[in-house]
Amino acid sequence: MRLSILFVTLLIVGSVAGIVAPAQLNGVGSVRAADIREINLDGLKKILQRDPKDTRPLLINFWATWCDPCREEFPDLVKIDADYTAARLNFVAVSLDEVADIKTAVPKFLKEMKAAMPVVLLNVNDPEPAIKVVDAAWDGQLPATFLYDKDGHVVFRHFGRIKPDELRAAIDKAVGSKQ
Amino acid sequence: MKKQYAVTLVLASLVIIALAAVAGSGSSVSDLPAPPAIGTVIDDFKLPDFDGKEHSLNSLKGAKGTVVIFIATKCPVSNAYNDRMEKLAEDYKAKGVNVVGINSNNTEPSAEVKSHAAEKHLTFTILKDDGNKIADRLGANHTPEAYVIDTGGKLVYHGRIDNAQNPANITSSDLREALDEILAGKPIQKTTSVAFGCSIKRVS
Repeated sequence: MRLSILFVTLLIVGSVAGIVAPAQLNGVGSVRAADIREINLDGLKKILQRDPKDTRPLLINFWATWCDPCREEFPDLVKIDADYTAARLNFVAVSLDEVADIKTAVPKFLKEMKAAMPVVLLNVNDPEPAIKVVDAAWDGQLPATFLYDKDGHVVFRHFGRIKPDELRAAIDKAVGSKQ
Repeated sequence: MKKQYAVTLVLASLVIIALAAVAGSGSSVSDLPAPPAIGTVIDDFKLPDFDGKEHSLNSLKGAKGTVVIFIATKCPVSNAYNDRMEKLAEDYKAKGVNVVGINSNNTEPSAEVKSHAAEKHLTFTILKDDGNKIADRLGANHTPEAYVIDTGGKLVYHGRIDNAQNPANITSSDLREALDEILAGKPIQKTTSVAFGCSIKRVS
């Protein structure tokens, strides 16, 4: 009986604290920028729906190489990616560049940034359905950053260049401890 | 006793979860102004063109309606639409609809807007919105981003020109469809769409 109480307690408190976090990449792909994967609307939905077994918070940043504030904030995101391991935070950067740029401008920029987070390129003819799927309040402005807790609830969203301290505070809360 | 202890423990844990959920409720942050609702009368304004000559919105209105498009010189998305915007202006001028461009980017001075228009063969009037006052008033955040104003001065469409940067992928010509509906005297079916492009570079 005592063991079962201990188990239930650890499971619940552990889930809240974000320490029961399998190191999965949610099917998103490699952590290397060279492995940028092309996804369609269904692929985006799959990322948003998450793997129920994955208890890590999910951080998604929508960006494009032609977007100046995206480029400006990217070094902050690279640092955040380095500071929060993939075991604790599932970070996916979703490029909205044209698909023709998947082998050129996108990897070139990521290399310059020394980026190591998983990156996918959203290849859709019409960005509007994808934008609506993510957040009805999002007007398509880039960059756009969303943090979901382990239950899939949005706990942070920001349209435009992030304020790193605000995002880090939200991540700390979502992963359950100060980094 | 042990059972009571277990129940208490589980309840306490549930309280912790509930508190965590409340504490983590979503924050929504955008520093940008919201656009006026469809149907809002757009008050007249005055802006200089890239030569410094001042124009009022009223003086640029078409007999059947007016299109205002926020554009840029450096934005690849806006530039992908240069030919389409010029064609739109040509096609609809004959039908009584006037197209007006506005450049609100503080990073793109009038001289650059002028040379860009010449280089890209943009012949419609382009106004320079120093201090992004009109972008703020219309809640414009992107380039390109289009507004249609009817003859009564009301905003009747706001959003994108069409769905695709690459003209080969166009499946929804939202702006043209809105204009065609106005000209046919029909209600506009899709009054808003998501404008997608570069952010307007506002003064800090």
